[in-house]
Amino acid sequence: MSAVSSSASTSAEASPFATLGLEPAFDLDVAALERTHRELSRALHPDRYAGAPAGERRRALERAVVVNQAFRALRDPLSRAEALFALRGVPLGDGHEPQPSQAFLMDVLEWREELGEAKARRDAARVAALGAAAKEGTERVLRALASAFDSEGDLRAQVALLGELRFFRRFAEEVSAAEDDLLDAP
Amino acid sequence: MLLEIFDPKAPARAVGIDLGTTNSLVAYVRDGAPTTIEDCNGSMLTPSVVHYDARGHAVVGKAAQALAAESPRETIVSVKRFMGRGGDDPETRRLGPYRFLPPESDGPNVVRFDVRGRAVTPVEVSAEILRALRELAEDELRTVGPCVITVPAYFDDAQRQATKDAARLAGLEVLRLLNEPTAAALAYGLEQRTNGLFVVYDLGGGTFDVTVLLLEDGVFQVKATGGDSALGGDDMDRLLAEDLLAQMGLPADSPERTPALVRATLDLARKAKHALTDAPSVTLESPRGDGALTLTREALERLIAPLLARTGAACRRALRDAGVTASELDGVILVGGTTRVPAVRAYVEELFGKPPLAGIDPEGVVAMGAAVQAELLTNASRDGEVLLLDVLPLSLGIEVGGGVVDKILPRNTTIPTGARATYTTQEDNQTGFVLHVVQGERELVADCRSLARFTLKGIPPMPAGIARLEITFRVDADGLLTVHARETTTGVEQRVTVKPTYGLDDETVERMLLEALDHGEDDLLRRRVLEGRVEAERVLRATEQALAADAALLLPGEAEAIRRAMVALTEAAAGDDPARTRSRLDDLDHATREFAGRRMDQAVARALAGQRLDAVEEGVKHAKGVENAHTERPLD
Repeated sequence: MSAVSSSASTSAEASPFATLGLEPAFDLDVAALERTHRELSRALHPDRYAGAPAGERRRALERAVVVNQAFRALRDPLSRAEALFALRGVPLGDGHEPQPSQAFLMDVLEWREELGEAKARRDAARVAALGAAAKEGTERVLRALASAFDSEGDLRAQVALLGELRFFRRFAEEVSAAEDDLLDAP
Repeated sequence: MLLEIFDPKAPARAVGIDLGTTNSLVAYVRDGAPTTIEDCNGSMLTPSVVHYDARGHAVVGKAAQALAAESPRETIVSVKRFMGRGGDDPETRRLGPYRFLPPESDGPNVVRFDVRGRAVTPVEVSAEILRALRELAEDELRTVGPCVITVPAYFDDAQRQATKDAARLAGLEVLRLLNEPTAAALAYGLEQRTNGLFVVYDLGGGTFDVTVLLLEDGVFQVKATGGDSALGGDDMDRLLAEDLLAQMGLPADSPERTPALVRATLDLARKAKHALTDAPSVTLESPRGDGALTLTREALERLIAPLLARTGAACRRALRDAGVTASELDGVILVGGTTRVPAVRAYVEELFGKPPLAGIDPEGVVAMGAAVQAELLTNASRDGEVLLLDVLPLSLGIEVGGGVVDKILPRNTTIPTGARATYTTQEDNQTGFVLHVVQGERELVADCRSLARFTLKGIPPMPAGIARLEITFRVDADGLLTVHARETTTGVEQRVTVKPTYGLDDETVERMLLEALDHGEDDLLRRRVLEGRVEAERVLRATEQALAADAALLLPGEAEAIRRAMVALTEAAAGDDPARTRSRLDDLDHATREFAGRRMDQAVARALAGQRLDAVEEGVKHAKGVENAHTERPLD
């Protein structure tokens, strides 16, 4: 079997921003987002319908699921960016996203190599430094995305940022796994 | 006793059940306070031990425990460790006295204990424990209503489903499966005075859970959960038992290690572990009666250090998943009998850098929390007071080419939730499709837990890559998954058959249910009648309340139609035809549908409108709550 796509939402559904009553924006107040999610959960969580007839319970569950999906999509900057690109009609996924720049790919190779070496040497300080660098890289991409969504320019040119963000995320996970290994087997 | 005549009209009380590895408890809310129910000897703990006598009848609890040493193979201890696992699971090969039967060739792949030549599954053993708890509760409450059963937060889908099957077999209606750490937080009543960030460290007999939760304005939001569903006090007992067996001069392959001796040594190890809570060393009589054995606290600490390190790794990961550091925590809560071990407490304090809270007995706290949740779900006047937002403990995915997992839902996603993914065929004219659903964090299918295989048939023949198979995952508030599959180019919903990898299918549970009842069909009918009545009462009460609360949302004539449906349901429930009750319930659902939709819309509109107002109050409340958290009683 081969995957065509595995996105958590489809375009036919309401935008996660609309579901949570928010104006589409990349710079979101996360605390406010969490409050809204909490209040909507209070209104729709299945536990509030424990006494309701089966059909009503089912409908409340459907709506609670939609709210939780929207919350998940917007809390994470990566999927929030994907949702915004989708809202602005920029196609994503295989075949639509440009390859990252040559310079970025060179950096990626170098970082991977360094992490591998640091792991082999059990160099905790170096692993931590790479983690900090990944964090810095993530923040740089997030700032770039924020200004891209703010501007009126062509968003198509900015899609490559998503690839960079995905790399930093995976790299940060690898760094965490390396840190765990160092802690678990001193 | 003669005066206490059984009153069939006595209101059924909802109960909370902690179905533990070592001990199980049942609790309810009495005069507003969660209370564990004690047996005639004044003990709230029912050992999770089931003995099958020569006639095949089950003996549960202390009486069964007393028989464990003399008939180790007929007495199942710590059955929870086998829930939702396959017959070939490594758990079946660990130190223990049991004999196992291989899974039936075309039957479900579940663990089957060989008890006097008869196959007994963990679901059936657990159902016996639940039945005993229900009887215990009936002695106190006379009529027991629906229940909330707790499960380790880290239980996967198969383990949760097995727990629900056991309840069904025991004739219990399950309102909710509740995660143990969340239950504990609820029992602490934190919501009444505190906002803040908490960690629950739950080390039980057989499972370890860690949960990071944020409490704000009566909403418990689980941020991350982690753990190990095969790590607990049992493992400490096994390590101590191995040490004792070595002291007796019996290496692992010694033929003198009989099942009875292994069981006796495990029991001795458990007693020694308890004694070492207060004493620096204990002297024990060898189970073979040939001298004395010694265990010191230092030896215990050395032996369990690797186990504690595993809990530490899970805690660090949970904190990271939650995006917080230990210094941001407002409190650490200890749950589970194994947290009585001083070395465990010291380890937790060092790990999180603060003394844990332990105001409530760590063994009763989970059942008490379950009772609180059962009350919140059935007592309409407490509706909306507290809300628990839990998460999916382990990622869910589908096997794609090359034995690789395509993750559909990541761990720590707030539930209920759902996701959709689309796949296509690889070969021309492919008319069937097998979907393999797995759970776990690893990239390869072989390293994850297999949940189920779905066979989709009847796809019209078309070239490879044209068919669009849309897979919809849905995870409910119990953390249970349902999957739907559809071929979208033809728009026809396909026939899907589901085969759980490590679970019982519906027919098997139904058959066990009939076998377990003395009068089969008759008893089952009576049970269905009662269940219908309980459900009808609950729905009628909720409808009555909705009519009173939101009369303004009713359209002309709507109230009358709803009232008519309510009368019809009341009449049906008084009779003894469960199918009729069910159909009247559907009628009432139909009559209230539009009204209920308007109420839901109103609740959503209010939630969205309330955002700005709340923002102002938020800061004040948080500051207040954090102060209170630190006045909580520390460990003595």
